[in-house]
Amino acid sequence: MEADHPQASVEAKSIGKRLEFVELAVVNQEGDKEATEEDELQRLLKPNVDELPVEPPSSVEFNFVRYFAPDFMKEGHDQYVYRHANGLCVIGLAPSHVAFKDDGGVTEVDFNVGKSDRSSMKVTGKRKRNAQHFESNSALCKVNTKDASYIVRCCVKGSLLEVNDRLIKQPGLLNSSADRDGYVAIVMPKPADWLKIKSSLISLDDYTKSRKT
Amino acid sequence: MLTGDIEPSIKDAVSQLPPQAAKDLLSAGVCVRCIFRLFGIRGQVYSFPTLAPSLIYSQLEEVIDVDESIPRCSVEANGSLGGSDTDLGFCTICLGILQFSYHDAKDKVMKNQSPSDMASTIAQSVKQEGHSISDFSLEISIPPIILENEHAVRLHLKSKYGNEGWMQESNSSQIISVKESLKFSLTGLVENVLDAKSSLSEFRIRMTYTLSKSPKTIQNIMEKNKRFKKLKHGNEKLHSDGTDAGDADMANDRAEEIVKRTLKNLGDQQPSVFPPDKVTEPCSLVVACSRASIFFGGRYLKYSRNVSQSRWIIDDERMGEASVEEIIGSNILPLCRGDAYKFHAAGREDIDVRMLGSGRPFLVEVQNARDVPSRTSMREIEVKVNNVGSGLVKVKNLDLVGSQGWNLMREGEAEKQKQYAALVWISRPLEDVDVETVVSLKEMQILQKTPIRVLHRRSPLERGRTIHWMNIERIAGSSQYFLLHLCTQAGTYIKEFVHGDLGRTHPSIGSILGCRAEILQLDVTDVKMDCFMAD
Repeated sequence: MEADHPQASVEAKSIGKRLEFVELAVVNQEGDKEATEEDELQRLLKPNVDELPVEPPSSVEFNFVRYFAPDFMKEGHDQYVYRHANGLCVIGLAPSHVAFKDDGGVTEVDFNVGKSDRSSMKVTGKRKRNAQHFESNSALCKVNTKDASYIVRCCVKGSLLEVNDRLIKQPGLLNSSADRDGYVAIVMPKPADWLKIKSSLISLDDYTKSRKT
Repeated sequence: MLTGDIEPSIKDAVSQLPPQAAKDLLSAGVCVRCIFRLFGIRGQVYSFPTLAPSLIYSQLEEVIDVDESIPRCSVEANGSLGGSDTDLGFCTICLGILQFSYHDAKDKVMKNQSPSDMASTIAQSVKQEGHSISDFSLEISIPPIILENEHAVRLHLKSKYGNEGWMQESNSSQIISVKESLKFSLTGLVENVLDAKSSLSEFRIRMTYTLSKSPKTIQNIMEKNKRFKKLKHGNEKLHSDGTDAGDADMANDRAEEIVKRTLKNLGDQQPSVFPPDKVTEPCSLVVACSRASIFFGGRYLKYSRNVSQSRWIIDDERMGEASVEEIIGSNILPLCRGDAYKFHAAGREDIDVRMLGSGRPFLVEVQNARDVPSRTSMREIEVKVNNVGSGLVKVKNLDLVGSQGWNLMREGEAEKQKQYAALVWISRPLEDVDVETVVSLKEMQILQKTPIRVLHRRSPLERGRTIHWMNIERIAGSSQYFLLHLCTQAGTYIKEFVHGDLGRTHPSIGSILGCRAEILQLDVTDVKMDCFMAD
């Protein structure tokens, strides 16, 4: 049970400390070894509170380099491209996207654009069979607001690995967390294409500056 | 020739031969041991050094002289042995293998060695490699043409002596193979020089005989049988790289299989070529010895967030300062004086995740160990590895486990439970009710899409996983940080379970607590498996 309740074991340990003298004389060797191993584990797990940041970087900040495609093909169509160290790119709507300015924000997401329904493609296997090859201007989906409709584009030339089909039932994720659970798609560009793609995007710093003014 | 000089057991063996046929074979350049084995003679007689054809020939003459019923004409017709024994070529069936003649590793022709010379040669190669052994098994690989030669001679005997009683009683299954005969000659002697027992040992002495020149008859057969194209291919390979004993072994074994089948299919139709051509070149012999892999089992602990489990090098750049594999393997290897080691573990953790508590089961396989450490020396080896590991990696419960260690480790690997401690930060202060909520969740099912961080190299799938239980340990002096202790099904991605991976793992700690959750550090605290625990 001790292992199941670390808190309990911490308390037991502090009591144990006081009894150390008495115990040493009576516990058998095995028990002693176990006790020291448990102590050791507790010591190793205990973080140094002083070294912890007040607010740590988020997993998105930590794992991705954030790029932006402002006014992509149309004014106000601001999108983000978050690139993971492994080369995969998460595509979504930047906070300054024009859709968010409409009253009530995004109300509907429709992946049935272009020649096929983007959410019906099933990519399989390590080699990503069935992945469609997209150009940067290929449409990923349509986001609707109360009285307008906007096309979200790929921004990155590459294979479409998945689209976020949760958005079909929960379009509100775009309004509440477009940069996390409200992402639109994951695209895998060819490594050789990346430098060219990168030059078509702007950095987080440049984006922040440009949208402030 | 004085018959008194001949060992009684040789005399006895000779007396069992059909004299006329035996003389016939001797004249055709078949060696004495091949004649013995063709007529099913077994045992010690093969290891006598003095089995000169002339000696046996005169023995046979004597038998014929005594038995008046045997006609003498055919021997005269075939001519005599002519000259001394050494002038004769190599055995037309075994190509000199059973005459202990061969090209050695330096391509020097060793001719008519004695069985004890051979035994010493074998012993020497074992000693050169520095093996300490108590038992061994002798393995022999011969060129497949020998089977074909044997078949041809057998057909000849059948056509010539088919009417005689001994021929009708005999069948091909009584023939003792070249390999078997060679073992009759050598095993006892090798046991003596090595002071080790012959048995089904993990230590193998492999004698590989290969042809120096391409045989012609076998290719004749194969050209006649176009459907054995594969075989021809295999055979070419055999002759082109006869220098590599390992490859030659495999080629010999494979080709032998095919030749046996071919000969069986051909039955007795093959016109026999008799007497066979004189053999002027013996086979090349390579003696190699090796010990089957030995396995060390144990559990390892990894105290560093900059040490990977296996050697990890990308574009000549090492990831992390060291690896568990190398720290353990490179210290065990020299103790056994093996050729190489392989490291296997029951699952793995990321480079930035420590392995604490119970440790993780692992196996180190040492190939061709010259020394096998005693089980009593395991504690010393542990201490050594732990000292060299400079606190980054430690091993415990180290033991020699035999190859069944594999099964132990693989058993239940998929169902095993793993326990972790994660340092978590949430975007609001942690409330008591949060702790209650989390602790109340037992055997919770979650769905995990392949995490983005590994999606580039793994199949995109959604997998169901079980979080068996969770516990929260508050950290004094912080309201938003806490230690999350959790026990999960093997294969659960913990980091994603905490931060949710853009909602691709659901539910997650973030979604359960309705806020943003981030993971700063992760440690494995227990791998719940039965294997390699302390006694």
